[in-house]
Amino acid sequence: MDRKMEGRLGWLFASPYLLYAVLFFAIPLVWSIFLSFTDWNLIAPVFHFEGFANYWKALKSAGVQSAFFVTFKFLIIFVPMVVIISMIIALIVHALPKFKGLFLVGFFLPYLASGVVSSLIVKGILSYNSPINTFLRHVFGLDIDWLGTPFSALFVVAVIIAWKFSGYYALILTSGFESIDQSVYEAAEIDGVNGWQRFWKITFPLLYPALYTVVILSVGVTFGIFTEVYQLTGGGPNYATNTWQMEIFKQAFTNLQAGYASAIAIVASIVTFISIYIIRKLIELWGKRNGWD
Amino acid sequence: MKRWFSVFMAAVLSIGFLVGCSTGNGGKTNNGSTKNGVTTITFWAAPNPTQQVFWEDMAKKFMEKNPNIKVKVSPMKETPTSEASIQAAIAGHNAPTMSENINRSFAAELANSKAIVPLDTLEDWDKIVSGRKMENSAESWKFSDGHQYVMPLYSNAMLFAWRIDILKQLGYNEPPKTYSEVLDLVKKLKQKYPEKYLWAKADLADPTAWKRWFDFFMLYNAASDGNSFISGKKFAGDKEAGVKVLQFMKDLHDENALLIKQSKNPFETGTSIFTDLGPWTFTSWKDNFPEMQLNKTFVLSPPPIPDGLKTDHIKTYADAKGLVIYASATKEQQKAAMKFAQFVFSNPENDLELLEKTSLLPARDDLTTNETFTKYFNENPQLKPYAAEIPYAVPAIDNAKYNDLQTFIGQYAFNKAVKGQGDPSKEWDDMAKAIEGALK
Repeated sequence: MDRKMEGRLGWLFASPYLLYAVLFFAIPLVWSIFLSFTDWNLIAPVFHFEGFANYWKALKSAGVQSAFFVTFKFLIIFVPMVVIISMIIALIVHALPKFKGLFLVGFFLPYLASGVVSSLIVKGILSYNSPINTFLRHVFGLDIDWLGTPFSALFVVAVIIAWKFSGYYALILTSGFESIDQSVYEAAEIDGVNGWQRFWKITFPLLYPALYTVVILSVGVTFGIFTEVYQLTGGGPNYATNTWQMEIFKQAFTNLQAGYASAIAIVASIVTFISIYIIRKLIELWGKRNGWD
Repeated sequence: MKRWFSVFMAAVLSIGFLVGCSTGNGGKTNNGSTKNGVTTITFWAAPNPTQQVFWEDMAKKFMEKNPNIKVKVSPMKETPTSEASIQAAIAGHNAPTMSENINRSFAAELANSKAIVPLDTLEDWDKIVSGRKMENSAESWKFSDGHQYVMPLYSNAMLFAWRIDILKQLGYNEPPKTYSEVLDLVKKLKQKYPEKYLWAKADLADPTAWKRWFDFFMLYNAASDGNSFISGKKFAGDKEAGVKVLQFMKDLHDENALLIKQSKNPFETGTSIFTDLGPWTFTSWKDNFPEMQLNKTFVLSPPPIPDGLKTDHIKTYADAKGLVIYASATKEQQKAAMKFAQFVFSNPENDLELLEKTSLLPARDDLTTNETFTKYFNENPQLKPYAAEIPYAVPAIDNAKYNDLQTFIGQYAFNKAVKGQGDPSKEWDDMAKAIEGALK
């Protein structure tokens, strides 16, 4: 087969994905960019080009500003939480003599659970007159407004999402553990390395590829949170859990301001891109220090 | 290779754009047509199975008598929201001929975008209104431009429910009517049952726009005797009444009478003794809380009012929705849609069927006096107070920016008052300033 034929075949095989990407990514993206410069609500017969007005409005809006800061607050709570929990699960499963797969599947199940259902269950558990809160009030005199105070609402959402994703990330980390050559540990044992040093000086750096994947994926999750916030807090109290997706949803589907919502979506995608790029570079820097190029 | 890639991408993008811009039917709307003398109209029912059953039945009966009109009934999508699905349908040139489930505020947005037809400009509008005996109800739906864009279908005059069994334990045989009477009751309640609250509702502290219909607007309409909050494009709120409402909520907060945390069925379990209640609740109570019985465990009343106001004919908020006809429909379809509406609304038996199937109260002025409904209300006495309140129920504001405006009510005033923050008069002024800014 000559090179020309190979090239044509390559395009042929790639065309379903390219077509998919064009229809569901490129066209909506171009359409969103166009909408973001208009005041169109999609139903009015006429619309006006507003230049960057929607962008200025977005930058000045309390909703968008809260979405920006809430995402980073969430990132600070969620990413370490999910990495630590999934690491603990992976360590436990890795140390098991038998049935590793069975346990991993068990931990993976929450990932398949509906966000709506798990949120509604948590809402019931944390309600004022739930058995837990009644017990806390009567025995300890603690009257906690779990979803009504900014930090606890954010923390509760982070815990639900960490519960959902930690089994999945544990799967990735377990494969990372399995790929570490046992001879490295044997050599370290001969050199008299203790358990603490063994984990931090050998396992942790050698886990870099799996950790890299888990951290980047979990950072990505923080920019896409919607279901749990929508079901539990609606973005409140006082914008404390208002995420990018929540703000876009409100403006697009409740306020029906397609142009303005598109401008927020574009701003959100720029912030997401820059944030993930910076975090990726920081992790790669740490990887390089540990010999990963 | 670069050139090939560019050509490929350009071709795919062009096809994509052309496909995206096309309506798929040569530029004509996809909402029915006239063929062989038969006009087809499409009707979107609310995403509620009982309403869909009602409209399917109506369409069947109508088509038996009108073979030259075909009515296709289908439920509107409710994801992400029913309003958004209508928006998407209009944008995609797939709007139905007519639909139900439209409140006055959303209708204002549709009217503002010229997406719906002013019904009073169509033939037979007056006949429909007089035939259904809904002159008063329809009048309150008139828009500030003088036109009628929505045919009122049902009007749930929102009432408050009181736990009469607990009130009796506190020495009351009927619920308090004025703010000071309510505050007196709260003192007695807290003395006897420190863990109980007057009103338990997390939504009170939530700025989401629609939540104001079921707290602020009920109280404000009662305190202001139904004064317009927005008139045309101007803020027309009654400051005196509004500040009294905010002060009342602040006083309740100060008495620890409000529980603004998420709680499960607080009224039914007796955690609270007062709640806003729509008639749709009774179906769920029948299955889940059969102990909730009118005059035994609960009673219904209009909203409490500031001291010194007359205590009869108290106004409240009307959770009301109606039918609209879309501007994208052809003249024949619009005419056929009006004929269908006239058929449905000219016979009170059809309204009885609506009531029986959906428990939604038909927006008729004669609901309590028309003999057609007597038997039903005798069998369902809990719905009687709702029917009696219909003439005093004020529907939602008719402004396309209602979402922003109602968010400001919560954000600047109501949510703060329920948390006991700030000065009600200043909060009202801040809210008014924000609303006036948005209306410009």
